[in-house]
Amino acid sequence: MPALPLDELQVTQKDADTGRLCTLPALHPERIVSRHFVLYVPPPASCAPSLLEEFLERANFITQDLCWLLGLPHDLFWCQVIFDESLQKCLDSFLSSAPRRYDRPCPLPPSVQKVQNDLHRYVFLTFLRMSTHKESKEHHITPSVFGEILYNHYLFDIPKLLDICVLFGKGNSALLQKMIGNIFQQQPSYYQDLDDSVPTLLQVFSRILEIFGIKQDSESAEPQKLESQKKTTPLDMPEEELQDAVLYICDTSSTLWAFLEIFPAAAQTVQKHDILNKLSSFYELAFSELEAAVMKRKFGDKSTKLDLWRRLSHSKKKLLEICHIIISETCLQPILEHRTENIQPVVEDFLQILTAFLPERRFLCDYDELYPVVEDVNLLQQVSPSLDETRTTYLLHGVQSAWTDTKRSRASTVPP
Amino acid sequence: MVLPRLTGALRSFSNVTRQDDYRGDSSDLMTKRSKLREQVLESDLTWKKITQFITGILDKKEHEAIKENLKEILQAAKQIVGTDHGQEAIESGAAYLFRILYDKESIGQIETMAIKQMFGPFPSSSATAVSNATYKIVSRLNQDKLKKLELLFREQRDEGSEFFGKNLTFSLDMYTLEEIEDMPLSRNTETEDITLDF
Repeated sequence: MPALPLDELQVTQKDADTGRLCTLPALHPERIVSRHFVLYVPPPASCAPSLLEEFLERANFITQDLCWLLGLPHDLFWCQVIFDESLQKCLDSFLSSAPRRYDRPCPLPPSVQKVQNDLHRYVFLTFLRMSTHKESKEHHITPSVFGEILYNHYLFDIPKLLDICVLFGKGNSALLQKMIGNIFQQQPSYYQDLDDSVPTLLQVFSRILEIFGIKQDSESAEPQKLESQKKTTPLDMPEEELQDAVLYICDTSSTLWAFLEIFPAAAQTVQKHDILNKLSSFYELAFSELEAAVMKRKFGDKSTKLDLWRRLSHSKKKLLEICHIIISETCLQPILEHRTENIQPVVEDFLQILTAFLPERRFLCDYDELYPVVEDVNLLQQVSPSLDETRTTYLLHGVQSAWTDTKRSRASTVPP
Repeated sequence: MVLPRLTGALRSFSNVTRQDDYRGDSSDLMTKRSKLREQVLESDLTWKKITQFITGILDKKEHEAIKENLKEILQAAKQIVGTDHGQEAIESGAAYLFRILYDKESIGQIETMAIKQMFGPFPSSSATAVSNATYKIVSRLNQDKLKKLELLFREQRDEGSEFFGKNLTFSLDMYTLEEIEDMPLSRNTETEDITLDF
């Protein structure tokens, strides 16, 4: 006979006060151990012994506690995960502040790095166990209840999922794809949460432009207050602020990219907010001005210029890759994989998206360099012979003229 | 310094997370340390159990010397634990110290930190005394008896040696900065590296 799912199991245990046997649901707050998980604090930037000691103490506490947690039987693991708030805070603190490899590098002593690496592994294993509703034949949770547990107790949320992808995605992508896929499959409300998060995500890009004092289209028509302060620009803003803002772009583009790379099914949801149009405008507005400023400015430390340049280049590449994942997932793959019966609306979406890119000359050239538009158009022509040739020719001429306008050269791909 | 992050903005400004305000400070660590002390006090591995086990596996002729070593450990534990929490706390402390030092020849950085985490600042001479006495006891045990002692500790340890995902291949590889586009030299306006002084 198959074992009952954990959410239907009852256990008998001694009452702590009376000593009498009592029956409880297997998932019950009384079954947790008061462990007090401490919060994670990232390794210190300096190697001051006292700071390192505190980091090590915290990290060792968390490592030992997570090792203990992972050693618990299935029922007690889930009780602890659901009802121990200190555990959730501990995990969230790790996700939000653990160093990313693209942050400012700060080499750690080998012993400290080892502790950080161990912790990294235990956090991943904890999230892996939390995203699995069927651990074995005997140990499982009813899928719908599992979805409710994850969502109602905020065991996963959109920022956490993004952090998990950027922290663990590079080396563990296959496993992570299954984890994230299972979470969204068992709890579709996460798609709604993703949908609700996109406006905030887009605000981050607007905020970055604001920090740099770069005007957006929507702003330029508005009358400016006379007494409003003079805006700073990437050329004259304090060096530290410029560095922080570039780090912000770098983190934002890397994190969003990592999430879409691991879970491309999210593309449909994010594109509902016309994200491609907004990202291409951001790209066009921000990078030429930022790159020019980085080239022109003098920095206290010579390595800063190269560091900023690297981060800008990286961010540009990530944004282009994000756009390509979205286009591929929303337009190209559904056609190529025959996911849709009527390909006409999808082809139309593709043409509209690419046509909307035409005014963003610099973005278009960079995108076309990485993902030649002509190849996608050729592909569509093969599967949709009725493709409007006038529109595709207009599009390809637009791409060609963007190359000409930006004074860059490449082999002509426009049909004669 | 807190770095600007996309997920930081999502946590602060979207409505899809539980709004928690938490910051790791020293009070957080103090609570944990006292929780750890509670755990040691409640541990099944009592001082009595250790002393009975050791005297049980050694010849009677060695008992006198062993008793002296055990007494030294208990006295040094008193210095480290303090007398505020009574004899029970001292004995739990002695059991803890014996457990973390029995397979070490001397006190290293990790052990020092573990003792400090558990009991706060402590006189190093007392820790050395525990270490020496423990070493003397353990050196009387042959391989077979030492294995039995290890087994006793392993049975009592709550950090399971088996845990979920233990044999899973995990990669520490993380996303790094992409290879860069060359910085166009023609646009480099910094001139300090260029000299016209031939």
